Amino acid sequence: MGSVGVTLPWELRISTVAREGISRVEPSERGSHANPAAGNPEDMALAAACQAGDLHAYERLYRLQGGRMKNFARNLLGTKSDAEDAVQETFLKVQRSIASFRGHASFVTWTFRILVNTCHDLRRSRMRRKEIVPEEREERAMPAEPRAPGGHPSLKLALERAIAQLTQHQRDVFLLYEVEGFRHAEIAEMLEISETASKNTLFQAKKNLRQVLEAPRSSHAGGA
Amino acid sequence: MQITCKDRERIFLDGSAEEWAGLEFHAASCAACAEEVRAWKTLSAAAEELRDYQESPALWPRIAAALVQHAKSSVIRTSWLERLSFWRSVPMVWQTAMAGALVLLMAITAGYLYLQPGPGKGDPNSPLLKDRTLAEVERTERDYMQAIDKLASQAKPQLETPTSPLMASYNEKLIMLDSAIDELRLQAGQNPSNAHLRYQLLAMYQEKKVTLQDVLETKR
Repeated sequence: MGSVGVTLPWELRISTVAREGISRVEPSERGSHANPAAGNPEDMALAAACQAGDLHAYERLYRLQGGRMKNFARNLLGTKSDAEDAVQETFLKVQRSIASFRGHASFVTWTFRILVNTCHDLRRSRMRRKEIVPEEREERAMPAEPRAPGGHPSLKLALERAIAQLTQHQRDVFLLYEVEGFRHAEIAEMLEISETASKNTLFQAKKNLRQVLEAPRSSHAGGA
Repeated sequence: MQITCKDRERIFLDGSAEEWAGLEFHAASCAACAEEVRAWKTLSAAAEELRDYQESPALWPRIAAALVQHAKSSVIRTSWLERLSFWRSVPMVWQTAMAGALVLLMAITAGYLYLQPGPGKGDPNSPLLKDRTLAEVERTERDYMQAIDKLASQAKPQLETPTSPLMASYNEKLIMLDSAIDELRLQAGQNPSNAHLRYQLLAMYQEKKVTLQDVLETKR
């Protein structure tokens, strides 16, 4: 699913320069207190159609967000099959609890909150059953996963390993912000934290990632 | 905007676009900040490596099938929930109060039922018998009558040909008891739930039994 979404907030937020992989200027979200998608007529219409039990509405939700959902779940759970299970389970949970959606948050944000919780539940249950030990998961699953075209395998692998060392909260925020392109306001709604907490968590996550990723290079450089 | 090295972390944390521009301007003349900004941006760029939005053609059909199946299986449950949907418009305070009242009502009902005597614990002095109890009484009466009839058949030879005045008086007594029993049974048949009639009938049966036992004792 190449470019996901018609007019997604993250598409507006991420500059073309950043998307080409050169650099990404940190966005300013000051003043963007409310979730831009909350109250969005298109978002509300989609939620209403889902509430009415329209299967086409669910399909539209999938076409708009399925790619991002699956990508987030794969980065969190490690394998494509787990990610697909998580997305399917999320859709079923959305269907089950759509009646309780009152439009206070964006429908997409609400859906992602369910996805995040579903992924955590799946991860916990798999850990409990010892089906996947985290270290093994990295070694076993990641090389087998199909890589995005044009991606740098060693960079991706190094980043995945570094992300695995973050706390669950830091991992969630980093993936949602840097990979999936959500705003801090949206992440705050999803994770039920404050916007400031989301910013602080991202800052800490990036500092930790830098330490992990640059440590071998620094030591190598120091030794040369 | 005057940006110094001290502002760097704050801008990384929550800098505006203007502050970022200022930091980049500062970094042009500060090697340490230039390295930090480069590393910070590289991390964001590297995160894009984790974006893989490749289509999974089989996933949506799988989800759709699960959604349809789930929708079918929850039709009954949904109709139930729809009936209760008015709850959503009721303020939370009222919902809590009504839930509390319901729990209290259930507790009182449970307590009342617990303290109420069961069917087997009915008041034996009650003048009216319930259907189940009546059936039990009638069955016991039948058995009791059959047992007394056996006694009567054993005493019959002595009673039909009384050999002494005592035996003759026993015979008369039994004839009177049978007559009284028949009359009481007739009344009990018309008013089967009347416990008082049943007690009288029982007394008659007991008297007949004792008399028959006396007849048999006399024979010995």
